[in-house]
Amino acid sequence: MHWGGALFTLCLSASLAASSTNNVPSAISGERYNEDLFIRPLLGWQNLLEDVLRDSESSGQHYTLFPLTLGQILEEYSIAELHLTLNSGKWDYDHWGYPDDPSVGTGAELWAWMADGPSSTIDERWTGLRNALAGLFCASLGSLDMRRTSSPSTVFPISFSPSTPHALRYANLPSENVCTENLTPFVKLLPCKSHAGLATLLNPQRIFDADWHGLSIHLRSTEKGTELKLGVQAVFDPVRLSGGRRRDWSFRLLFDRMAGSSVVRVQVPDGESHALSPTFVADDSAAAVYNLITQVPLDVSMSWPYEHTFQYTRVHQSRLVPLSIQRTLRGSSQIHVGYFENLPALVTLWMHTMETKVDGVKRDDLISNVTYHPHHVLANGQKSPSTFQATLTIPAASTLHLSMEVSRAFLKYTEHPPDAMRGWDLPPAILFPVCDPTMGICDMRSTSADVRGRMYTPSLLIDLPTPDFSMPYNVIIFTCTLITLIFGSIFNLLTRSWVIVRVED
Amino acid sequence: MQWLQHLPRHCLFLLACLAAWTSAVSQDEPVANFFGKHNGTSGHTNNWAVLVCASRYWFNYRHMANALGMYRTVKRLGIPDSNIILMLADDVACNARNKFPGSVYAKSGRHLDLYGGNIEVDYRGYEVTVENFIRLLTGRVDPSVPRSKRLLTDDRSNIFVYMTGHGGNEFLKFQDNEEISAFDIADAFEQMWQKKRYNEIFFMIDTCQANTMYSQFYSPNILATGSSEIGENSYSHENDNDVGVSVIDSYTHFVLEFMEGINKTSQVSMQDLFSSYDPVKIRSHPGVRSDLFQRPLEGALVTDFFGGVSQAEIFPVTEEDADTALQYITRVSFPDHVVHPDPVSPQACHDQGVNTTRSNATALTPEKDNIMLDVRWKDIRKWTSIAIVGFLVGWVSFVR
Repeated sequence: MHWGGALFTLCLSASLAASSTNNVPSAISGERYNEDLFIRPLLGWQNLLEDVLRDSESSGQHYTLFPLTLGQILEEYSIAELHLTLNSGKWDYDHWGYPDDPSVGTGAELWAWMADGPSSTIDERWTGLRNALAGLFCASLGSLDMRRTSSPSTVFPISFSPSTPHALRYANLPSENVCTENLTPFVKLLPCKSHAGLATLLNPQRIFDADWHGLSIHLRSTEKGTELKLGVQAVFDPVRLSGGRRRDWSFRLLFDRMAGSSVVRVQVPDGESHALSPTFVADDSAAAVYNLITQVPLDVSMSWPYEHTFQYTRVHQSRLVPLSIQRTLRGSSQIHVGYFENLPALVTLWMHTMETKVDGVKRDDLISNVTYHPHHVLANGQKSPSTFQATLTIPAASTLHLSMEVSRAFLKYTEHPPDAMRGWDLPPAILFPVCDPTMGICDMRSTSADVRGRMYTPSLLIDLPTPDFSMPYNVIIFTCTLITLIFGSIFNLLTRSWVIVRVED
Repeated sequence: MQWLQHLPRHCLFLLACLAAWTSAVSQDEPVANFFGKHNGTSGHTNNWAVLVCASRYWFNYRHMANALGMYRTVKRLGIPDSNIILMLADDVACNARNKFPGSVYAKSGRHLDLYGGNIEVDYRGYEVTVENFIRLLTGRVDPSVPRSKRLLTDDRSNIFVYMTGHGGNEFLKFQDNEEISAFDIADAFEQMWQKKRYNEIFFMIDTCQANTMYSQFYSPNILATGSSEIGENSYSHENDNDVGVSVIDSYTHFVLEFMEGINKTSQVSMQDLFSSYDPVKIRSHPGVRSDLFQRPLEGALVTDFFGGVSQAEIFPVTEEDADTALQYITRVSFPDHVVHPDPVSPQACHDQGVNTTRSNATALTPEKDNIMLDVRWKDIRKWTSIAIVGFLVGWVSFVR
C-alpha cells in the first residue's frame, strides 16, 4: 500500500477586471474573471491541486471574457444550471478526505436544470445539449442518451430559487476517457487561453500523469448573471515522480512549467520540518499566499532539507470524513445519508431481496424513504435506467451492509460494444446529504447534514453473458461444407457414368 | 471614291474586332486569374482532411501514431482544426498502459510528441464505426450532430482521406468488430460527387493489401495510393522498447519523412511523392491510381491536398494611399457606438491582429487603380462601338 504525494488544488482566481487600466469593458459588460490556485498536502506527501477559473457575465449579450460558445449553448437550450465533469481515477475518501469540488465520480457526469415544458421538448433539448457539449469538448457525450438519463432532483438540487419551474436531467458515463483532446477546448474557453494566467501551468503530460485528475465545468445562474467556474483537480505524487526517494515538490517537478500570474495559495503542513520557498505572506487560514502579479515567473517549491530519503509511514485511520464508503464508519454518532444509484438496464435489482445488516444482524429500520424506478422500455425501443434512492441511518462506529440481488441482462449481439470481453462499467453510487428527519424542518443547504457535499463510490465492472461472435461465421462455413459434400456426392452418383475408351495403337 | 464604297465593310470589320476584344476582356477573366494563377489548374478554394484510425487496443498503437502523424503534418501545412476530422478508435495517449501519459511517439527515441498540447479528436472510441464514417462522408448526419463532427465541404474543396488499420482484399476492419469494403467507399465517393461535395479527393490507405481498397472507385477527380499490393502485407517500421509496442508503420513512416521536407510554400508535386516510394525500404509495393484524376501528376502540388494554403497577393503601397485606406477601414468597421474590444487581448495575449489590418490596407489600394483603368477602357469601347453603328446607319439611310 504505497501512498505518496500531495494533493494539489489548483483554483485559478485572478481579478483581471480590477487590475486592468481600461475601465470601459468592466463598466459596460459587467464581466469579471478570477483565477485561484490552491495546493493542499494530503497524507503528508500527496498534493491535491485545484485550479478554478471563474467568469461571470451580466445578463447582456456581450461576450468578452465569458466564452461565446457556452453562452450560445445556454441560450439555445434554456439552461439555468449546468455541471459537466470528466474525471479519471478513483477518489480515495479514506486517505484524501473531501475534495474541494465534490463531483469526483469516475468518467463523464453531466447534469443540467432546464426551463420546464412538455417532457418531449425537455428531452429534445437534453439531446441537443449533450451533442453540443460533445462537439465542444471532444467527448463522447452523445452516448449519454435515455439509457443513462434520469432525474434525481433531491440528489442534485438547484442552487438558486427560480421564478419559473425547471426540470433536471442527469446522466453518467463511467467508461469515458479523459485526455488532451478534452483539455484543449477547455483551455480555449479562457479569455487568454493558455498564454497567460495560471492556465500556463496546465501541462497535459503532467496533469494526465497524476494519480487522480478531473476537469469540471460549472455554470450557475446567480442574481448578477451567469457564473462559469472551470476547474482542474489533480492528485500528484512527488515521491513517485522523483523515483521514490523524496517528497519535495516544486512547480517545475509537478507541471514542468512556471506560473505566469494570479494568486497561488499553498496550505502549509503543520509541525513538519519543511522549507517553503520563495518567501510568502501567510493568510488567515494558515495558507501561504503568493501574489503572482509581483513575482513572475513563480516556481513554488517545498522541500524537506533534513530528510535524506522519504520513508513511507504506516497510515493511521484519519478522521477526515465521517463516513467511509468501504463500509467502515468512524463517526461517534449515527449518520443519516441518502444513497442514490442510477444503473443502466444491464442489471435488474430485485427489491424483495434487499437486506440491511449491521454486524450480521438484520436491521430493516435503518433504511427508509426508498424510491425505486425499475428500468422500462421507452418509445424508441431502448431501456431507461433503473434508479434507486433511499435514506440510510448508520449507527455509530459500525458497518452497515446493504445487499441486493441483481440479475444481468442478456443483450442482443448487436448491442455489445466492440470490446465486449472487457465488460461494462456501472456508474458510481452517490451518497448525498439529507437532514436528520427527527430534527424537524429540513433545509438541504444547511450544515445540519452529516456529510458535507456528495460522495461517490468507485465504479464497478460487470461481466455480461457474451456470445461467441465468431459463431455465425463458423456455422456458415461448416454448414456450407456439409451441403457441398452431400450435394456433390449425390450429383456424381446420379450423373456420372463410366465409359470404356478404346485407345488406338 | 473607292474607299467610300468599301467604308461600310471596313466599319463592320472594325465593329467585329471591337466586339471580339470586348468579349475577350470580360468579367470572367479576373475571376479565372484568381483561381488559376497560383493553383495550377486545381480550382480549389479550401482544404479538408479526414484521418481515420480504425483499430482499437494497445497493441495497435502504431495505427494511432500513423493517423496522428498525418494530423500533425496537415496541421503544420496549414489546414485548421475546424477542417480536420480526426477519428481515433482508441485512446493510447492516456491509456493506463502508456508509460508516457499524454504523449504518442512515432519513432523510437521519443523525440517528437505527436499528441502535444493542442489536439482535437472529433470521433473517439466507440463512435468510430462504419456507419458514422459513411454518414460523415456523404453528409447524411443526424441533425443533432455538432458542427465539429460534420464534413462541411463544397464543390471547391480538396479532401485528403487517410485510413489505417487492419485490412485485406477489398476490406478494412473497424475496431475488430465490423468491416468496410472498397465498394462502400466507392459508393460514398460517388454520392459525394453527385452532391458536389468535393473538387478533388486524395485517398491514402495503409493496411495489408491496401491497393485493393481503391480498385473500385468510379467517380472523377480521385487520386489514390495504397501501401501494398494484393497478397502482400504492410509491415510496421520499428518498436520502441519503453513504450513496448511498434510505434509506426513502414509506409506511413516514409511518407511522413518525405513530408518533413515540405513547407507551406513548397512546389513539390504529387509525382515527386510517388517517385519517392522505395519498395525495398518500405518492404511492400505501394501503388498509385491516377486514371480518374484529370490533371497531370507533375502539375498537382502536394500542398493542394496536404496544405491549407490560401492565395494572397501583396502589392507595394505608397504612403498617402495607405493613410486613406486605413481611414476607410476605420470608418467602416469601428462605428462610434461599438465598444472597443477587450483590453486584455493586445498586450497580455500576444494578439496578431495588428498585422492583419496592415496587410488589409496594402491590399485595398492597388485595386482602386485597376478599377479606374478598366472603367475608362470600357467607356472608350462602348462609345466607339456606338459611334461606328450610328455612322453605318446614317450612311446607309442617306445613300438610299
